[in-house]
Amino acid sequence: MTQLRIAGLEKRFGEVAAVRGVDLEVAEGELVSLLGPSGCGKTTTLRCVAGFEQPSGGRIAFDGTDVVPLPPEKRDIGMVFQNYALFPHMTVRENLGFGPEMRGIGAAARAKKVADVLAMVQLVGYEERYPRQLSGGQQQRVALARALVIEPKLLLLDEPLANLDAKLRDEMRFFIRSLQRRVGITTLYVTHDQAEAMVMSDRIVVMFEGRIHQIGSAEDVYDRPATRAVSNFIGQSNLLDGRVAGGGNGRWRIDTAMGPVSCGSGFAPAVGDRASAMIRPEAIELHANKTDAGCFPGRIESRYFLGNLAEFRVRMSDGSLLIVQQPAHAAHAVGAEIGVRLPAERAWLVREDVA
Amino acid sequence: MSGIARAKWLLAAPVGAMVFGFFMVPYLNIVVMSLRQPSTTQAYGPGFTTDNFVKAATDPLYVVTLLDTLRLAAMITLITLALAYPVAFHLARTESRWRGVLYGLVLSPLLVGVVIRTFGWIILLANNGLINQAMRQLDLPRLQLMYNEFGVVLALVHIFLPFMVLPLMGAIQGIDPRLEEAARSLGADKRRVFLRVLLPLSMPGIQSGCILVFVLACGAYVTPLLLGAGRVHTTTTVVVHQLELFLWPFGAALALVLSLVGLMVVWLYARLSGRVLRGQS
Amino acid sequence: MKLWRGLFGGLIGAVYVFLMLPIAIVVMASFNSTRALRFPPEGFSLRWYVAFFESEPFMESFRLSLVLGVAATVASVLIGTPAALYYVRFAGRWREAFRLYVLAPLLLPEILTAIALLFFYYQIGIGTKSVAGLFIGHVVVCIPFVFLQVTASLYNLSPSLEEAARSLGASPWMTFLRITLPLIKPGVINGALFAFIISFDNVSISLLLKGIGSTPLPMQLFDYLRWGFDPTTAAASVVSILMTLGAVVLVDRLVGLRAMRF
Ligand SMILES: Nc1ncnc2c1ncn2[C@@H]1O[C@H](COP(=O)(O)OP(=O)(O)OP(=O)(O)O)[C@@H](O)[C@H]1O
Ligand SMILES: [Mg+2]
Repeated sequence: MTQLRIAGLEKRFGEVAAVRGVDLEVAEGELVSLLGPSGCGKTTTLRCVAGFEQPSGGRIAFDGTDVVPLPPEKRDIGMVFQNYALFPHMTVRENLGFGPEMRGIGAAARAKKVADVLAMVQLVGYEERYPRQLSGGQQQRVALARALVIEPKLLLLDEPLANLDAKLRDEMRFFIRSLQRRVGITTLYVTHDQAEAMVMSDRIVVMFEGRIHQIGSAEDVYDRPATRAVSNFIGQSNLLDGRVAGGGNGRWRIDTAMGPVSCGSGFAPAVGDRASAMIRPEAIELHANKTDAGCFPGRIESRYFLGNLAEFRVRMSDGSLLIVQQPAHAAHAVGAEIGVRLPAERAWLVREDVA
Repeated sequence: MSGIARAKWLLAAPVGAMVFGFFMVPYLNIVVMSLRQPSTTQAYGPGFTTDNFVKAATDPLYVVTLLDTLRLAAMITLITLALAYPVAFHLARTESRWRGVLYGLVLSPLLVGVVIRTFGWIILLANNGLINQAMRQLDLPRLQLMYNEFGVVLALVHIFLPFMVLPLMGAIQGIDPRLEEAARSLGADKRRVFLRVLLPLSMPGIQSGCILVFVLACGAYVTPLLLGAGRVHTTTTVVVHQLELFLWPFGAALALVLSLVGLMVVWLYARLSGRVLRGQS
Repeated sequence: MKLWRGLFGGLIGAVYVFLMLPIAIVVMASFNSTRALRFPPEGFSLRWYVAFFESEPFMESFRLSLVLGVAATVASVLIGTPAALYYVRFAGRWREAFRLYVLAPLLLPEILTAIALLFFYYQIGIGTKSVAGLFIGHVVVCIPFVFLQVTASLYNLSPSLEEAARSLGASPWMTFLRITLPLIKPGVINGALFAFIISFDNVSISLLLKGIGSTPLPMQLFDYLRWGFDPTTAAASVVSILMTLGAVVLVDRLVGLRAMRF
C-alpha cells in the first residue's frame, strides 16, 4: 500500500501553464478523483505522476520517496488510458502477460497471474482474442486487468469510461469502485463527469485552470463549495452577489440587491468584502403567500416538468432570476406572485477565486 | 523518457550525415563549379567567372532550349491533368468491385521502369513500328510519331499519369458526397455542381499534382533522349551533353538555371492558384 | 445526359488502355519469334529469353541490379526508419525543416542530383571507379520513400500504446522492439518495397555514376536501345517487371495477411 504526495506541482508547455501549483495527498487505499472542465490540467497532473511529463517544478513522492527523476517504467504504476491503449498486435493473454514479462517473471508464474486477474475482471475464456474482437466494455476490463496484474503501487485512470455508452458506464463505475476496494490500491482517477466522481471517490479534487479550488467529499463540494467556479461546475446553483454585512462563528449576513441573506461559511470574511451567497435550486422554499416571514417576493416566470422534479424560474423584485426545484407536482402556476425563502442553513458563502 | 530523450539525436544522425555529405555538399559543389573557368584540358581552369551564367541565360541556343523545356513541361502537365481528372474521380467515387483492379492498373506504370515503358513506346511509334505497319496495310501515309515532340509528350504523359491521379484522388475522396447532393438539392445541374463545388474543392489536389508533374517533367531525361533521339532538345539532355563534352562549369551553370527557373515557375503557380484557393474559401 | 455518361466512360476506358499499352507491347515483343515485331504478331518463341539468360553483359547487369537494389534497400531502411521516428516523435522547433531536408533528394530532379554527385566524386578523387559511389547515390534517392512510408505508419500509431508499455515496466528500447516496431512493420516493409523498386528501375543516377564494367540492368537496356533495337531487351524488360512484381507479391504476403488487419 502506497501513499502519494504531490507538492507544489507545476507544468508549463511553452507559454501555457497547464498545472499551477498543485498540492495533494492521497492516503493508502484511497480513491481520489481529479474533476474539472476540459483543459484544466487533470491529464497533465496524472501524466506527471506517471512520469510521462517532466514537471516544471514541485515534488511527487510515493511513500516519501521522490519519483520525479524516475522514468515511467521504474515507478511501478498501473495506468488505464482513455482509449485503453491495448496492444493491437497481441492477444488478451499477451497484453496481460506483457507487464509481468517486463518484470522478469517466469512463464508459469505469469500464466497464474494472468488467469487470476482474468477471473477478477470476469473475462475467463477471452484469452486468445485480439483487442479488435472485444466489445468496448470488455476492452475496458482488459485495460484495467493489464494495469492491475503487475500489482502496482498506484493505479492511475484517465477518463476510463468516456468511450462507453451511458448504461455500461454506470455498471463500470461500480465495477471499478468495488474492484479498487477489494484490491485496496491507492488510486488517482481523472474525470470531467461530476456524477462519476461523486459515486466513485473517497475524495474529490476540483480543478480549474491548473489550480485546485477544493478538495473534499462529494457532500463538501456540493453543499459547501469553496469558490464560485466550483459551485457553478458541480450541479446547478443560484449565486447572490453582495457585500458582507456582519456575522461570526461560521454564520454571516450578506447584503444583496434583493435584501439581506444569511449563510454559512468555511472561512471568516472581512465586513464590507465583496462576496456571494450560493444556494442550490432544491434548497429554496416557495410559499404561496408572499408575505410569509423571512420571504422575498417573486413571480413565477416559467415552469418545466422534469419527471421527478418541477423546475421554476422565479423573477425577484430586483430583477434577478432564481432557479428553484420542487417536488414534481408542486402546484405553483406561471404568473403567480409567491414568497421565496432562502434557508440560512442551506446557503453558503463562496469566494470569487481560490485564496 | 530521459534515456530516449538523451539519445534522440542519434536517430536523426544517420540521415543528417548522409543527406549532408552526399546531397547538400555535392549541390554546393555544383554552385562552386558553375563559377569556375572552363578548360579544355581539365575539369576546370584556375580562377572564377560568371561567364557561364551569362552564357546560359543569354545565348539564344540555350534560352530557346530552356523555353522549350518549360513549354513541354507545361503542356505535359495540362494533358496529364485533363486525362487524370476523370479517372481519379471515377476511382474515388466508384463502388464497383473492380475498383481494386483499376487502382492497381493506375499504379502499375510505377512498377515498370522508365526505360521499359519508353521501350514500349518505341516499338509502337517508330517509323517502322506497329502503328505505321498498320497504316501501311491500310494504305495510309506514314505518320511521324517519334523523333519529335509528339512522341516525347505522349510517353511522358504516360509516365507521369499516376503522379497526377494519386493526389487528385486523395482530394476528391476528401470531398463529402453530401455536398454534391446539397448542391443538387439547391438546383445546380451536374455541370454547375462540377464547376462550383467539385472543382474548387479538389483544387489542393490539382495544385499538388500539377506541381509534381511539372517538376518531374522539367527534370525528365531518359525519355526525351530516347524518343527525341537528338531532334528534341530539353535542358537536361543539353546539360548531360555538356558533361560528355567535358564542359563541366557550363553544364553546372545550365543545370542551376534550369532548377531556378523551374522553382520560380512552381512558386508563381503556387501563388496564383493559392489566390484562387483563398478566393473560393 | 446519356451521351455525356458514354463519353466520360469512354475516356476513362481509353486512359486505362493507354496506361497498359506500352507494357503490353513489350511483353508481346519478348515472345515474338522474329527480330522485328510485326503487326499482327507472327509466332511465339522464347528465344529472346534464352538469349537474355545466355548474354554475359545482361546477366552481369541483372546480378548487379539485384545486389544493388537489396543493398540500397537495407541501407535506406536503416537510415530512413530512425529518421521518421525522430520526425514524428521527437523533432522540435525544426520539424518542418527536417522533413524538407530528408525529402530534398525527392524534390530536385534526379538527373541534377546525379550530376552533383558525379562532380563531387571526381573532386574527392573516387570518380566512377568504385561501385560504392553508385550505391550511395541509390541510397540518397531511396531514403525519402522509406521516410514517407514509415512516417505515415507512425502517425497512425497512438503514442498511448508506447506509454502503456512504459507504465507496465518496459524500457524505451524494449518498448520500441515489442510495441513500436511490430506496429509500424507494414510501413517499414512498404518503404523497403518502394526503395527496392526505385533502385532496381533507376536510370538517372546510374547513367552518370556507373563505372566501367558495372552497369545496372536499366542502364544496359538504355544503352542497347540507344543504338538500335534488339528483342533481347524486351525479354530483359519482362524479367525486370517480374522481379518488381515478385517484390510486390512478397510484400503482400508479408504484411498483407495479418498486420494490415487491425
Ligand atoms: N503536450 C502539450 N503541449 C502543449 N500544451 C499542452 C500539452 N498537453 C496539454 N497541454 C495544455 O495544457 C492544458 C491542460 O491540458 P490537460 O490535457 O491536462 O487537460 P484536461 O484537464 O485533461 O482536459 P480534458 O478533460 O479535455 O482531457 C490545456 O490548455 C492543454 O492545451
Ligand atoms: Mg484529459
